[in-house]
Amino acid sequence: MRLGRYELTLEPRPARPAIFTALTAVVAILLALALSSFLFLSSDAPLIDAYRAMFSYAFFNPHGVLATVHRSIYLLFCTYAFLVPLRAGLWNIGLPGQVYAGGLAAFAVPFVLRTHNPQTLALPPGLLIVLMIAAAAAAGAATGGFAGLLRAKLQVNEILVTMMLNSILFWLVAYMIKEGGPFMSATGEGESFGLPSSLHAPLLLGVPVTAVLALCVAVLLDLLFAKTALGYRIRAFGENPAAARYGGIIPVALSLLVFLLGGAFAALAGYHYFAAVPGVYKIPGNYGYYGDLGFYGIIAALIARGSSLGAVPIVVLFAGLSVGARFAQGELRLPFGVDYALLGLLMMTFVASHVLYHFRFGWRRIPSEALQPVPTELPRG
Amino acid sequence: MSPPDLAPTEPILAARGITKRFPGVLALDHVDLEIQAGEIHAVLGQNGAGKTTLMNILFGLLQPDEGALYLREQRIRFRSPHDALARGIGMVHQTRRLVSAHTVLENIALGHPRTRGFLNLRSTRLEVEALGNRYGFTVPLGARVWQLSEGERQWVEILKALYRGAEILILDEPTAALTPPEVKTLLAGLQTLVRDHGVTVLLVTHKLPIVMAVSHRVTVLRSGRVVARLRTADAAEESLVQHMIGRDIAFRTMNRSAEMGRPLLQVEQLSAFNDKGLLALRGVSFSLREGEVLGVAGVTGNGQEELAQVLAGLRPAASGRVRLDGRDVTRLSPLQRWRMGVGYIPAERIEVASIATFSLVENTALNYHFDPAFIRRGLLDNAGLEQLTQRIVTTYNVKAPSQYARAQHLSGGNLQKLILGRVLSRNPRLLIAHLPTQGLDVEAAAFVRATLVEATAEGAAVLLISEDLDEILSLSDWVAPIYEGRFGAIIPRAEAGAETVGAMMAGVGMKEAGVR
Repeated sequence: MRLGRYELTLEPRPARPAIFTALTAVVAILLALALSSFLFLSSDAPLIDAYRAMFSYAFFNPHGVLATVHRSIYLLFCTYAFLVPLRAGLWNIGLPGQVYAGGLAAFAVPFVLRTHNPQTLALPPGLLIVLMIAAAAAAGAATGGFAGLLRAKLQVNEILVTMMLNSILFWLVAYMIKEGGPFMSATGEGESFGLPSSLHAPLLLGVPVTAVLALCVAVLLDLLFAKTALGYRIRAFGENPAAARYGGIIPVALSLLVFLLGGAFAALAGYHYFAAVPGVYKIPGNYGYYGDLGFYGIIAALIARGSSLGAVPIVVLFAGLSVGARFAQGELRLPFGVDYALLGLLMMTFVASHVLYHFRFGWRRIPSEALQPVPTELPRG
Repeated sequence: MSPPDLAPTEPILAARGITKRFPGVLALDHVDLEIQAGEIHAVLGQNGAGKTTLMNILFGLLQPDEGALYLREQRIRFRSPHDALARGIGMVHQTRRLVSAHTVLENIALGHPRTRGFLNLRSTRLEVEALGNRYGFTVPLGARVWQLSEGERQWVEILKALYRGAEILILDEPTAALTPPEVKTLLAGLQTLVRDHGVTVLLVTHKLPIVMAVSHRVTVLRSGRVVARLRTADAAEESLVQHMIGRDIAFRTMNRSAEMGRPLLQVEQLSAFNDKGLLALRGVSFSLREGEVLGVAGVTGNGQEELAQVLAGLRPAASGRVRLDGRDVTRLSPLQRWRMGVGYIPAERIEVASIATFSLVENTALNYHFDPAFIRRGLLDNAGLEQLTQRIVTTYNVKAPSQYARAQHLSGGNLQKLILGRVLSRNPRLLIAHLPTQGLDVEAAAFVRATLVEATAEGAAVLLISEDLDEILSLSDWVAPIYEGRFGAIIPRAEAGAETVGAMMAGVGMKEAGVR
């Protein structure tokens, strides 16, 4: 861009010290919080109280912390679901659909085995829980794999397919749990039957086992990409598909594989929210809210630059702020939707900080000889 | 057709003493070019002769380091293509530069000085239609560009240039992507433009039959110098070939033991489509023994890439058969072929043979990530890969800041040495080397050639695909000139003369539909 005698350009940054990475993240968070002040202006409460209410609930209040943890686990699985295909250069926008598929499959296990009635448990509950998790993962993998297969075999855009699957599965859930649906609760309130208490996921220190699973996957995924042959192939395919093909990688198999994995992870998120969070243990009528929340996994994976461990603090922040903002909204009569607005702002500042992370503004004077006026008259020939 | 009066008149466009240097390369060396009004002037030369650089200077895309351009004997300076367009010079590039989702009319209007701000497509349509009527050709103005054939797209570009007031048309390799009937239509159309409408055409090509068919005069470039300036009617094909490839070819035959091993590769009537769906490789047959080098000589775009890719398993064969060790491998995957000992060095070392953002070690792994010797329980053996990379760096003299530097920071020559070392460290039995020395400096090129010879001494069969006739003649046991997807012949090296092979590379003595 040219401004008078000066030129403003975006230039790639040569070296990026590690501290700089952390610093840009912190600045992005602070900026988002500062911008969100505008949202709180309509409230009578002083600004500082709004922030205090938000943070103290999300990270210090016992109820709030649990809510933050549950939401973090959910978002982490969603993050992995996007992250694995992303490393192969593919975009899995089908998180909500895969979440629903996981939820439905998990509930299908007790339904099919006629054990959703506590008196008729045919199998040991431990085995049933493992079956539910496996069924959820398999259903999510199938949903994701469908998009992966279409992409690999027929070059159908994976973004479109996964988006459409979201819609299909949203309505499939509605059919299953709303009036007359097979999974409808006895009370007919537009939600699924509740799981018998023997099928609730076991708790460790008050937190469902899915937390352990989520953290293990965070470590394993980073190891997968750093150390294994498979991770190498996924990265190679993501960086340069032509070179990967030259190196013997089969694009069809690889696209399918990453979508199978991604779908399975999203389905575990579905299992976690509908079958493992204390106080829920059913597919609620507002399941669509959780589906939409899954999209924050995309943002977390992008901000973490494809690192599963790097995504953990980002996810916790997202979860905490959305939980805390929702609480503060009720407490201080803040406008409806501040939680989503805050997440949106955070997303924008993170994305903006990415540009500043990779580039810097160059500001230099244009040498005077380069400013010669361009002749407009043509010589007569 | 009769050529216009070619008595020396004032040239409409002239380049005098043009010199252009790129880092390490003298692309143009005091080139003079004079174009008379109303002629088709061909600029003939092999790839790398400097044709495209010269045209880019004439069109204002590049500035000459020395020399000047003259339009109607008036000295001119083009700062950008805008200046060239403003003075009636239009260029149709080798690759199409159209917006494929837009209509023909929108493409023609795009970038026209008058369409800045508001677009008046109705008046543009009337003007373009009038123009088409005047020049006597029709292009469906409402059609979207993606619906058109490659030949029609070319006409859109020509029409676009004419609409912008071009009186001199520069066409860079206009027939490269066309089918023979389209070539015929194009050439006839150009002749009409020149004969009936006084347009001047500057035709850049390496295809001799096209030069002979339509041009009035021809300027031959070789290695950045003008080596001949002739009236086409006075020129013999053979002499043009000699000018184009040069008579001063120094035979630096590599000393190799000529003991031939067992038969390794049999290729029968192999055909393949290119990415555009045209049959680019048309029934090629040959066989190769261990320790033998077959040099496929041709100008890029004559089916070499497809041949290399089909043999490596990266492109399906449309018909024909490939046998390795007597086993039919036509349908095997690239990985299965790597395992059978097929090594491939693609021409696109940045786009295909390496990953720019990966380190040297990771790039080495590209040919080893499936090798059991480098995998322990699913984990890549990083220490082993590091050792291997170190060995390649030392043996092949790769200059890199460290093993963990990204491939994008290597020079072309060092990257090529890394790729070569990586592939040869697998001890391939068949090595497909496509343009292995393209763009390398003399020293790196010599190293690569010597390494190929070494590989044959160890029993590898080499398929060398190159544009450099010198390289082919000095390394090969057999020479196969390729033109439009066919081998002209397979000639033993002792009998392969530069003139014969060069003529076949340019399509002389080979059947070509559409032109003759």
